Amino acid sequence: MSIIRTEQLSRRYGRRVGVDAINLEIGAGEIFGFLGPNGAGKTTTIRLLLGFLQPDAGRASIFGLDCWRQSALVKRDLGYLPGDLRLYPWMTARMALRIFGKIRGVDLSGSGGELAERFRLEMGVRVQKMSRGMRQKLGIILAMAHKPRLLVLDEPTSGLDPLMQKELARSIRELAAAGHTVFFSSHTLSEVESLCDRVAIVREGRIIADERLETLRSRARRTVELVFVDEEAAERADLPSYLQLVRRDGCRCQGELDGPTPPLVHWADDQPLADISIGPPDLGSMFHKFYQLPSEPS
Amino acid sequence: MMRGLLLKTWYEVWLMTLLFGCALLGVNALLTYVIPHFQEGIIEIIERIPFVQPMLTAMLGTELGDEISARTLQAFLWVHPTVLALLWAHAIVFCTRMPAGEIDRGTIDVLLGLPVSRRAAYYGEAIAWLAAGLVILLMGFTGHCLTSSFIPDEERPEFSRALMVLANLYCVYVAVGGIATLVSSLSSHRGGAMAIAFAIVLASFLLNFVAQFWEPAEQVAFLSVMDYYRPAQNLQSGDFPAADVTVLLSVGAAALLLGGEVVARRSICTV
Repeated sequence: MSIIRTEQLSRRYGRRVGVDAINLEIGAGEIFGFLGPNGAGKTTTIRLLLGFLQPDAGRASIFGLDCWRQSALVKRDLGYLPGDLRLYPWMTARMALRIFGKIRGVDLSGSGGELAERFRLEMGVRVQKMSRGMRQKLGIILAMAHKPRLLVLDEPTSGLDPLMQKELARSIRELAAAGHTVFFSSHTLSEVESLCDRVAIVREGRIIADERLETLRSRARRTVELVFVDEEAAERADLPSYLQLVRRDGCRCQGELDGPTPPLVHWADDQPLADISIGPPDLGSMFHKFYQLPSEPS
Repeated sequence: MMRGLLLKTWYEVWLMTLLFGCALLGVNALLTYVIPHFQEGIIEIIERIPFVQPMLTAMLGTELGDEISARTLQAFLWVHPTVLALLWAHAIVFCTRMPAGEIDRGTIDVLLGLPVSRRAAYYGEAIAWLAAGLVILLMGFTGHCLTSSFIPDEERPEFSRALMVLANLYCVYVAVGGIATLVSSLSSHRGGAMAIAFAIVLASFLLNFVAQFWEPAEQVAFLSVMDYYRPAQNLQSGDFPAADVTVLLSVGAAALLLGGEVVARRSICTV
């Protein structure tokens, strides 16, 4: 059964498009990356999933329950970290766990305390005295303390130092390994790339790609540098169609490989080469292309 | 779940409610003690300045007549602008917290990220507000009782009649708070919601006042909440103002229920 399912989900803000005909299906145990530039519709999608906004068209369901009409039921087994986290200024982590525990009907002090230790958060400091990073940690703890079946994180690493970002990634992987689902929204490719199994790219309110990261990697171009034995050999070289020449500098040729590496290695074996280096799949330039508006030059 | 919501509200409002309650206790104690001591002076002012009498009639909700008794004067306590301002301010400040205040400060995302229905969050807040209103009014009444023992018996209002006025005043508080809650449910900015609610209450007060001099206003005076609050009349007659209380509670309940429906159906966006 799908954990999250949306069908033609649409929402407008007056004349401006929030999201337009979003179709998603996310299964149990997936770490799903939701990637897009600022204002692309990531947060609007999350707000629709959490029942904050009513869709203009289409529908969204979580655990088979309607996100708008059965929102409170949905959130029993859901943890949410908002993108622009604002917590009650008088709250301490201890108070927050007590109040949230009472609302959820479970004792969060044990699991919350463990998470606080893991994220190195002091339990007795009021939110108004916390740094941005500390507030973010508290938000993460409150979202994860009840071990939800679905964790929705909107830009979760903002304000976290690299050490804590690593800790968060580790916690997310542990949750996913235990069969929990994570919806991870971000505009940072490296985060999504290192963590997610699948990624959807949203631009101008529409999903323009939704694939497994492995598939995207296999489609991404690689940078290839060929070092020929001399300049003349470099000039005479007849490059295969799947390797596009970007630059030639003396005996060095730099190109972009569009396709798998074995044919290139096979081709290189017959060439007068002194050296060859093949870079990793360049997801960055691929995403950059996805992000670009059709009217923008590449 | 509701216990958790009430606990959260308690942490947020206990200090504010305590301060309002203490202020009301102090003001009521002072007025209860002071009014009989200045009785002659007050009557002289009423008789000398013709404008004052209709103004007081509007506030007390009854004609003063030629004979102004000490007990009628005790009704000033319950219509004194400081007392009314404190009560209205508490109702407006409290009732614009959810949803306008939560949206305005961005905490609604965290609140509604929890497994609570919007109606539960809204009515949880309403329960806390009604309880807090009762607390501050009882604190005000305590202030009145503390110093009324220093007043001669014949000038002191009967305890049961004073309680009746208190009940009527609580219903005014419910009506004002209900209207503020409805305004809040339609708004995403607390400052704006408070300003609108205050403007409505002020307009209601002025309508009741103007109706004393201007006939067209008298025709629509029934729209003012103050038209259903006549402490002097109640203190004099000793009759429970059942009709007034019913109207005020109906207004408060209708506004509260309507606000609840608005909150349950509206889209909520903090960005």
